[in-house]
Amino acid sequence: MSTATANPSFDARGLAGLLDASSQEQLDALAFGVIGFDAETIVQRYNAVESQAAGLSPQRVLGEPLFTNVAPCLNNFLVAQRFEDAADEGSELDDTIDYVLTLRMRPIKVKLRLLASASSANRYVLVQRR
Amino acid sequence: MPLEDSTEQLRAEHEALIQFLYLSPVGLVQAALDGEIAMINPISAQLLMPLSPDGSLTNLFAALEGVAPDLRLQCAQYPRAQGMVFEGLHIHLRAAEHSKRAPQILSLTLLKLDEARIMAVIQDVTAEVRRERQLRQSDAWLNAILTRISDYALVSIDRQGRIVDWNESIARVTGFGEHVVGAPYSVFYPPGAMTPEHLLDRLRESDRNGWSLDEGLRLRADASQFWCSALIAPLPDREAFGLDDPNAPAYALILRDISDKRAASEKRRQAAFCDHLTGLANRRAFFEAAELEFDRAAHTPRPLALVLFDADLFKNVNDRYGHPAGDRVLVDLAEALRDTFRIVDTVARLGGEEFAVLLPSTGEAEAMNSAERLRALVATRLVASDMGEIAYTVSAGVAVLEAAPGAEGGDASIDTLIKRADQALYLAKGRGRNCVASWNSHLPANEDTPKRSRDAG
Repeated sequence: MSTATANPSFDARGLAGLLDASSQEQLDALAFGVIGFDAETIVQRYNAVESQAAGLSPQRVLGEPLFTNVAPCLNNFLVAQRFEDAADEGSELDDTIDYVLTLRMRPIKVKLRLLASASSANRYVLVQRR
Repeated sequence: MPLEDSTEQLRAEHEALIQFLYLSPVGLVQAALDGEIAMINPISAQLLMPLSPDGSLTNLFAALEGVAPDLRLQCAQYPRAQGMVFEGLHIHLRAAEHSKRAPQILSLTLLKLDEARIMAVIQDVTAEVRRERQLRQSDAWLNAILTRISDYALVSIDRQGRIVDWNESIARVTGFGEHVVGAPYSVFYPPGAMTPEHLLDRLRESDRNGWSLDEGLRLRADASQFWCSALIAPLPDREAFGLDDPNAPAYALILRDISDKRAASEKRRQAAFCDHLTGLANRRAFFEAAELEFDRAAHTPRPLALVLFDADLFKNVNDRYGHPAGDRVLVDLAEALRDTFRIVDTVARLGGEEFAVLLPSTGEAEAMNSAERLRALVATRLVASDMGEIAYTVSAGVAVLEAAPGAEGGDASIDTLIKRADQALYLAKGRGRNCVASWNSHLPANEDTPKRSRDAG
């Protein structure tokens, strides 16, 4: 990785495009959790921060449907439905919400950034501890 | 075994165990006795996050406060050192407006592990409850058929619900003579137990389901009442009677006098559908009745009114006279409500000192009148206590779903109606309490305005 470009921050503009173009090493170097999933909600990208926080190795997560087999806690109108609505309307999604994740069964306050756009094959849930 | 191998094996087992809990299809929470959450799995977060008033999951009771305000108390009052505080408690949610698929009924089981910890199991049982309800109706139907029938009246009625002809069995069971022909079948119902719309609803429901069954007080010709099971079924070959003849028999109405079985069936009903303190309908019965009335109004538009009542400054009553006296006030209020409203109205205790009355086929003026009558009646009543008689007042908020189709833009739901009645109630509180107010579109529609009307006392 070039030392000239700093790692993008959680609230950077155009983050989805940057993540799409990032290698696994670059994702792992980020300071926040990254879960990337495709149109069928199958997890395609999963970085080290998220893996460490959840206590799950990438092999257990990659290739699994996000909202049923990886993060059922997001399967409600606050998160999953936002992605569904964006897909139905073909609209851009870039929302940041306060949420509580149950990482290793502890309630952990986080900020979630939800990203989806027609120009990217992957959709993203980004996780930053509050 | 080398140390690294056994550490690696432990790590793998730990990860598998974590994933097992992540993927459990039921919500599991371990908390302190005051509800402070120690451990919680993802399904719990999925179900609780949309309910949590402050968007945090620090405390289980706080997260459920808006839909089940009694949990903290129930847990604190549980007398034993350990055991089941309650099992499979149904919690009806109000947040259905966000999504058609959102859960509407949660089941909550609370287990006290010891003097420091509780364990909760949370499940979305919306679909299951629907199925059970259908099953229960089928059971009731089978029961009606299979129970030994000592006597019954068989009445033919036409498409408008009018009695087509007379026979001996009608006289035996109800005492009505031949003059009853041509009258609507509501002639068998006591005053206030039937509306013209409900009369037709039951016919339509029997068309759809093959039958419609209800149980309740019925009227004889001499004005005496009996406990009756009434079944309406469409006549199988009614086309043969002539489709174009509006007076042709279209349904069979079977009336059975089951006064001797009333005690048993009432007891069953009460256990599931009554608030234990006041004997009024509980939240479950209220929301089931509301769902039915909304279905009916969606099919055949008619006005539907909701009145929310809240005992004024009730906390002061509890503080000054003690909780047992407070309970007596609530029982007294329940009695006044029962005396004021019709049999066809659903009078329910939604929680605490908050009561709701659902009035089918009732417009705003009529609902305001009834609410005002109740308010005035309560203001004259006194409740005995050890420290002297207690005078109390209530405030009421009225909201009406109007009959005109499309008048509500198709977004009418019981949640909307409750929210509006709540805003009206808030207005009544603001006007100095002991007062009735009605919702209008000029009231602030701000989501956050009266979060809980009782906050205003």
